[in-house]
Amino acid sequence: MDAIAEPESAAQIRRDFSEWLRRFFTLDPTKSSDVVLAVNEAMANAAEFAYVTVERSGPMHVRADYDGSAATLIVTVTDEGAWKIADPATKGPSRGRGIPLMQALADRTTVESSPAGTRVSLQWNRVTAQDCGSRTT
Amino acid sequence: VASQPSASSCTIEQKRIGEIEVLSVAGVVDMLTAAQLGDAIAVAGRKSPRGVVVDLGAVDFLASAGMGILVAARDELPASVQLGVVADGPATSRPLKLVGIAEVVGLHSTLDDALAALTA
Repeated sequence: MDAIAEPESAAQIRRDFSEWLRRFFTLDPTKSSDVVLAVNEAMANAAEFAYVTVERSGPMHVRADYDGSAATLIVTVTDEGAWKIADPATKGPSRGRGIPLMQALADRTTVESSPAGTRVSLQWNRVTAQDCGSRTT
Repeated sequence: VASQPSASSCTIEQKRIGEIEVLSVAGVVDMLTAAQLGDAIAVAGRKSPRGVVVDLGAVDFLASAGMGILVAARDELPASVQLGVVADGPATSRPLKLVGIAEVVGLHSTLDDALAALTA
């Protein structure tokens, strides 16, 4: 899914993604909730930080890959901006929980920044699809 | 205090129970609606309550933006006003505990528990 990195599109993608999870996977309520929240935080970071230094928000790309044989779900959120994260000393206590939250919610979290943008990858293990026979991978 | 932002819906109902201001929040607390919750807590705090209870019992999605509002609210409310949060379940109490907010604000699983704690 491609969208402009803004709060409204993050909310819309979050709803579509929740629906997709419900349709194709058998996740217990905790894991389902964990996946949706972590993906939201990755998009929120793109919406909040990626295009701070430029006049208008650029794109973010959200991609989900499911490997049925390994039972892993990997969601990547990529933007084409440069994250500008405030100094921890000045940003205040109400901010800065997105990355720790993603790390607590996903089995594996990586955040890679380059001049081309930032890529957040979130992985969950032991994810089972609803009906393996009807899925194309 | 209710509004329908373009992409996320959050409704907040305010009531007074004795000396406690209770805010019953329903729907989504994310980047789009977190400020609405912050405003409601600030308004409740100005009504000279003994405490403010934010009941997230009907919230089905809570993002870090909303958690930040709760932490900021603790800093912004007068020290004499207690703050309690009602949350139970994978979408609310779980992430609040994961990021350590349960240690900053009082976390209760029911409104009755929160009211009992704040009026004790």
